[in-house]
Amino acid sequence: MASKIINMADRLRDDVDERLVALFRAEPIADNGFSERITRRIRRRLWLRRLAIPLAAAIGGAIALNPLASMVTLLIRFVRSLPFDVVATTPGWIPSLPLIGLGGTLLVAVLLGLRMIDE
Amino acid sequence: MASTRDAEDHQLVARVVSTNDTDAFGELIRRHQSQVRNFLRRLTADVALADDLAQDSFMHAWSKLQTYSGRGSFIGWLMKVAYTTFLQSKRRSKRYGEILAEAGHVADLESRSYTLPTEDVSDLDKLLAVLTEEERAVMVMSYACGMSHREISDATNQPVGTIKSVIHRGKEKIRNDFGIKDYQHG
Repeated sequence: MASKIINMADRLRDDVDERLVALFRAEPIADNGFSERITRRIRRRLWLRRLAIPLAAAIGGAIALNPLASMVTLLIRFVRSLPFDVVATTPGWIPSLPLIGLGGTLLVAVLLGLRMIDE
Repeated sequence: MASTRDAEDHQLVARVVSTNDTDAFGELIRRHQSQVRNFLRRLTADVALADDLAQDSFMHAWSKLQTYSGRGSFIGWLMKVAYTTFLQSKRRSKRYGEILAEAGHVADLESRSYTLPTEDVSDLDKLLAVLTEEERAVMVMSYACGMSHREISDATNQPVGTIKSVIHRGKEKIRNDFGIKDYQHG
């Protein structure tokens, strides 16, 4: 209501105002693919954003793979070096390196899939 | 749910914000592109530059849409984004000019950068050339876009009183420079 009152006050224009309105009046500009160009740009940006996180994770994973594998190997070696009576179970439960890699890949794939579904 | 073409602006905005619906945003662009482009053309007097700025404005609008509170019209908010984009571009080009000047190049550092088109100078072009940038923006919003003083105030971050006085000043200038009382349109 308040905005209507303000608008009414705005509309109380004099003769000069009316002439200015006529002078400023412009022909509507045809769209001619303008909106389509922008929506295409936005869609591209959305896709890039969707790809950016998995891509960054993949690159980060690739970079981290080698040091991580060394760390896991070191850990396995350390656990195996412990006397059996310190570790409750046999060292056979410790998974092999390829199994750890496979598990990690599956975990990342599931997380990315969930994210895609969420989006 | 209303189809994209039948939906009102605020419904389309809600769809964009909640689901990143690009079709809904496309419809908002289709509805308002003419007004935004006309506004920027009046401000810059350069069709190509105005259209580039309009594209940038809509891109900014897309990324800032969640800040639109729904208070006031969507076109008013959009004009605010367009005007801010225009001012930012102007500041950038001014800074660029200063860098060129520092480097010894001749640069156009003029602040009242409304350049009259070389061909087909209309009455409106002459009229806009006598106004300052602020007056031009406010006058175009008021007379070309039909925005209320409140909407212009929101778009320019100026009090309503200031908008009224800017319009008054602009009208006085036009009266004095063009004798608009005797002006016969058409």
